[in-house]
Amino acid sequence: MDTDIEELRERFLNIEFDEVEFEIDGKRFREYALASGETDPKFTEIDHPNFQAPPTFVSTLVGRRNFPPDFPPLNGVGMDAGKQVEWKAPVRDGAKLTGKSHLHDIYTKTGRSGRMVFLVTRMEIYDDGGTHIANADTRTVIRERSSG
Amino acid sequence: MADRVHSIADVEFGETLPAFDPDTSLDNIKRFGRHVGWGTGRFTDHEIARKEGFPGAIVPGVLSQGFLGAMIHRWAPNAQITVIDTVFRAPVLVDHPHKITGVVTNIDEDEKTVEIDITVTNEANETRVFGTATIKLP
Repeated sequence: MDTDIEELRERFLNIEFDEVEFEIDGKRFREYALASGETDPKFTEIDHPNFQAPPTFVSTLVGRRNFPPDFPPLNGVGMDAGKQVEWKAPVRDGAKLTGKSHLHDIYTKTGRSGRMVFLVTRMEIYDDGGTHIANADTRTVIRERSSG
Repeated sequence: MADRVHSIADVEFGETLPAFDPDTSLDNIKRFGRHVGWGTGRFTDHEIARKEGFPGAIVPGVLSQGFLGAMIHRWAPNAQITVIDTVFRAPVLVDHPHKITGVVTNIDEDEKTVEIDITVTNEANETRVFGTATIKLP
């Protein structure tokens, strides 16, 4: 692994840098379900006894920042390269959730156009009883500009 | 290929899930923008997106992930998606037809889990989004 990446990993991985609270509105996740093409009434009908958000809905919960405030600028433009959700329990209408974010991984890939740095930001999501209900990861890729 | 599966016993290794045509219309993306988020010009206005360097308005990645989940739920209504990982390889363009497909790549009868490779392709059959999902079935 490149030395600069090793240093970033040692300095920033697994250190919480953001905490944000969400009050979940069932109408919002119903719209998410309908736009996605969900047909199961447990996702689309507010009166359903098991009404809940589709598992991927937590990807729409956004923190105040994607990286630690003191994270150094990298030489390139960041793009959203992907998202992962790990589901543990349903998200319900009216739930009060807390999202706690940390950098979960930093790694590189090298292609014809040079090095790409991948930053994986994980938001751990808890309900108001402290139960861990989901992880929502955002993978950002930075294509480094040639320094020549 | 089964149109629907209800338990792990119904699932066959290598089977292809019924293809799903997601609603990538501008109307759907605008509605998503109003009620969920991602309502800025690059998603809801072709002209603004072109000025930002895209071929046209693009579907938010969070919605592409939603499309993939919906395909799985349509095929397996009793499934619980426990992990879904999506890689945004290239933009999914608004108002262009896309197809969502899935292939069963692993079945664990003991854990009652199934792994599925999932893909969003455009009309030229180019992969725009791909990934994997793990589901749990009765």
